Amino acid sequence: MARFSDRAAEPGGWRGAKRVRELLLIACLLLPSLLVFFLYRLLPLLWNVVLSLSYWSPLKPARWAGLDHYQEMLTDEVFWQALGNTLIFIGASPLAIVLALLIALLLNSEVRGRALYRGIVFLSYPLMTVAVGIIWRWMYDERGGIINYALRASGLIAKPIPFLESFEWALPSVILAEVWQVLGFYMIILLTGLQSIPEHLYEAAAIDGAPRRAQFWRITLPLLKPSLFLCAVVGILNSLTSFDLIYIMTNGGPGHATELLITYIYKSGFGQTRFDYAAALTVVQFALLLGLAFVANRAAGGNAGALQQR
Amino acid sequence: MRRRKGLFTQAGLIALSALMLLPFYWVIKTAITNENIYAYPPRLLPHHPHLFNFVDVWYLIPFPRYLLNSLIVSLLVVGANVAFNAMAGYALSKEFPGKGAVLGLLLSSMLVPFQATIIPAYLITAKLGLINSYLGLAFPLLSTIVCIFIFKASFEAVPHSLIDAARVDGLAEWRIIVRILMPLSKAAIATNVILAFIWSWNAFLWPLIITREPAMQTLPLGLARFLSYLEDTTGALYAFAVMVLAPSIFLFLMAQKEFMAGLSSGATKG
Repeated sequence: MARFSDRAAEPGGWRGAKRVRELLLIACLLLPSLLVFFLYRLLPLLWNVVLSLSYWSPLKPARWAGLDHYQEMLTDEVFWQALGNTLIFIGASPLAIVLALLIALLLNSEVRGRALYRGIVFLSYPLMTVAVGIIWRWMYDERGGIINYALRASGLIAKPIPFLESFEWALPSVILAEVWQVLGFYMIILLTGLQSIPEHLYEAAAIDGAPRRAQFWRITLPLLKPSLFLCAVVGILNSLTSFDLIYIMTNGGPGHATELLITYIYKSGFGQTRFDYAAALTVVQFALLLGLAFVANRAAGGNAGALQQR
Repeated sequence: MRRRKGLFTQAGLIALSALMLLPFYWVIKTAITNENIYAYPPRLLPHHPHLFNFVDVWYLIPFPRYLLNSLIVSLLVVGANVAFNAMAGYALSKEFPGKGAVLGLLLSSMLVPFQATIIPAYLITAKLGLINSYLGLAFPLLSTIVCIFIFKASFEAVPHSLIDAARVDGLAEWRIIVRILMPLSKAAIATNVILAFIWSWNAFLWPLIITREPAMQTLPLGLARFLSYLEDTTGALYAFAVMVLAPSIFLFLMAQKEFMAGLSSGATKG
């Protein structure tokens, strides 16, 4: 690598011209990707902050608004409900991660057919979420859905439950569908983490007479921290961006019982054409993301950087 | 004792697999039958299975149009991703002034989920005059940071002697990329193709915002529209769902290993 910078040190001449040509080539090669990220990551982020501090709608000139939109949020009941629901959504992901860890531990043993089981559990993850939402709507259906049928046939309930139309059941129901889709993904991350733990650690522990349970708490869990951190981050990101499933299954209803920040941002922006208020909501959501990612990183021992090396 | 434990594990895994597969079974069963889908108790096995629902979907709604739009956008996204990410990955495998800044920019952009910036992203696309166009649909997905790093790592693993030999033979720089580096990076290309395809094929929120008329809509939008027209009253809706899921499932069965490796490396959808 160093030889390129050596050449750059030589002023002018044939080699200097060659170096200039090489730098030009590098710039041209980087240009398309950087343009995409500038237009759709960086610029939106900055624009979003500016927008959240102004009064603006498509046909009117912008006016400075200061923190007015943020102040409005304080008394906006829908915002608080969306925020609460988003936090519940995020709060459910540790349960899914524990479940995925159990499955990963089972599949990490010498069980027969493990490749098949792994494939089955993972299968739902890459699927189109809109279609997944439609499937789950049908499973939850009050009259023809299989879930109500199973519950009634086994005598657990006498009357069918309108899962997605009920205030108590709608949010847990949507969360269950979300878990079904993302479970296999957590499992693969954790399985990869389990397989990277050196076998000799367990052998040494066994020689020392450490029971299996102690091996799990003292060896497996600490070494699995980076994988668990990655799962946590994915859980947070999923909860913040899980628009498709909500839109299809309940569209935030009944009332706002399943409203998330992302669906409320969409409704404010594109439903009510209040782009400025939606931008302020987006800033809050982004702050939430950074805050939670920071906490997760601290909990994982601050070595999130290790993930970049994967 | 040990054998009993193995049986226990097997039983648990079989039950789990049944639960994971149940939604697939239920939707396929509904898609291939035409009975009253609200009958109680529902039939657990398909009765007189047929494929008419699939034919209905093809002819009654502009399914071919949605399919064409989805294919065009996916093709644009996959092609651009392989080209742009490989180019950027190659550039980043070299030394140049400002490399640290570029890397920092990319790594911090990874933290910004695209969904978090939809409002300005829409306004920018409107300013570019790309609302309701294929390019507008594809633009945010044209390059992916994770995949740039996958290419970078793959290129850095190619022995230097090979590149130097090519240079001595007088091969131009871009020819070195096309003729030597790319053929040696098949795994990186496969990962890239799979990720780009899945993300563009499944994308819903962005197309929902950016398209104005059915003629430009992609399959997920068509499916959502179908749902809002017909509610849950027909097996055709579920046939539609099965049809849009089929390509991903097929791809998954074909390249399961690459799929899992790719999707877990692209975890955060950089």
